[in-house]
Amino acid sequence: MRSRSGQVMLVLVFAILGLMLTTQFRNQQRLSGAISYRRAEELAALLKAAEAERDLLRHELSSMRLHLAQVTASESAALDALNRELERLRLLAGVSAVRGPGVTVIMDDSTRPRSRQEDPNVYLIHDDDLLKVVNELRAAGAEAIAINGQRLTSVSEIRCAGPTISINGTRVAPPIVITAIGDPQTLESSLKMRGGVVDQLSLWGIEVKVKRETDLLLPAYDRALNWMHARPAEEGGRP
Amino acid sequence: MILLALVGLALGVIVGWNLPLRIPALHARYLSIAILAGLDSVFGGMRAELEGRFEGVVFSTGFFSNMLLAAGLTYVGDKIGVELYLAAVVALGVRIFQNVGAARHALLVRFWKKR
Repeated sequence: MRSRSGQVMLVLVFAILGLMLTTQFRNQQRLSGAISYRRAEELAALLKAAEAERDLLRHELSSMRLHLAQVTASESAALDALNRELERLRLLAGVSAVRGPGVTVIMDDSTRPRSRQEDPNVYLIHDDDLLKVVNELRAAGAEAIAINGQRLTSVSEIRCAGPTISINGTRVAPPIVITAIGDPQTLESSLKMRGGVVDQLSLWGIEVKVKRETDLLLPAYDRALNWMHARPAEEGGRP
Repeated sequence: MILLALVGLALGVIVGWNLPLRIPALHARYLSIAILAGLDSVFGGMRAELEGRFEGVVFSTGFFSNMLLAAGLTYVGDKIGVELYLAAVVALGVRIFQNVGAARHALLVRFWKKR
């Protein structure tokens, strides 16, 4: 070891060790700094603020709607026909609460015990399961549908949002309660027909309960209707 | 000899600090395992020196071969889905402790003899 080459070797070995140590140290710093905890927290705070603002605006919107209703109600009888037409259109658009007979569909994730090899995904309710049920209800003549208090309109989405489902921009999680107004008998049998949607879902153990109701109350669509691109065309206008 | 080691270490640290070597996160594990193996060799060398049976060739070949073996084991483990790097971590960690303990022992013996 007293030889010169041995000493050079020793220096070299330690130099390499030092080089690797610092490289690893700096990399570790960079990696842990990439997605810092603080950033995530910041974003969560922003989200919270935005949600608070949204709730405030929604509240404002509902009070404005109330005001509008009062104004329309106080107008003279000359507007009655217009109001009736408006009422019908509001019903169609889903911006007014409606009541009537129909069915309640309650869906929940499977509680069936499953082995570890199986994909747990198939035992959960997904957006497309909801879509199938809603589609079936619409086909059976449902006139108004709401899911967990979210009224479905012509601009509503039913979309996978991570572990939840997004409807009208609101996250909805099981148990899912779908209320639909229409002929209770028709709605129920359309869902329960053999090989139908309830049959398919029960294959995975997803619980679907259909209940006939005599009087359901569906909430109004509580979001502003903003048209940024579409505008009315003249009657009989060619596309 | 300690002086030489410190000079080498300082040299490496300075170069490493100024060289912006970027290791992708995927490969960072191999480097860390290799560092662990290198540390094990260094502590082993320290112990050997204190016990008076240090061999420069044994030390430096052990340093590099341990490093390659540990990183290679990790790589093979990744390929076949067995967490082989755990074996390297455990074996090297135990050896580091043993070596440091023996080195301390040798140092104390030498200190007592001197008095």
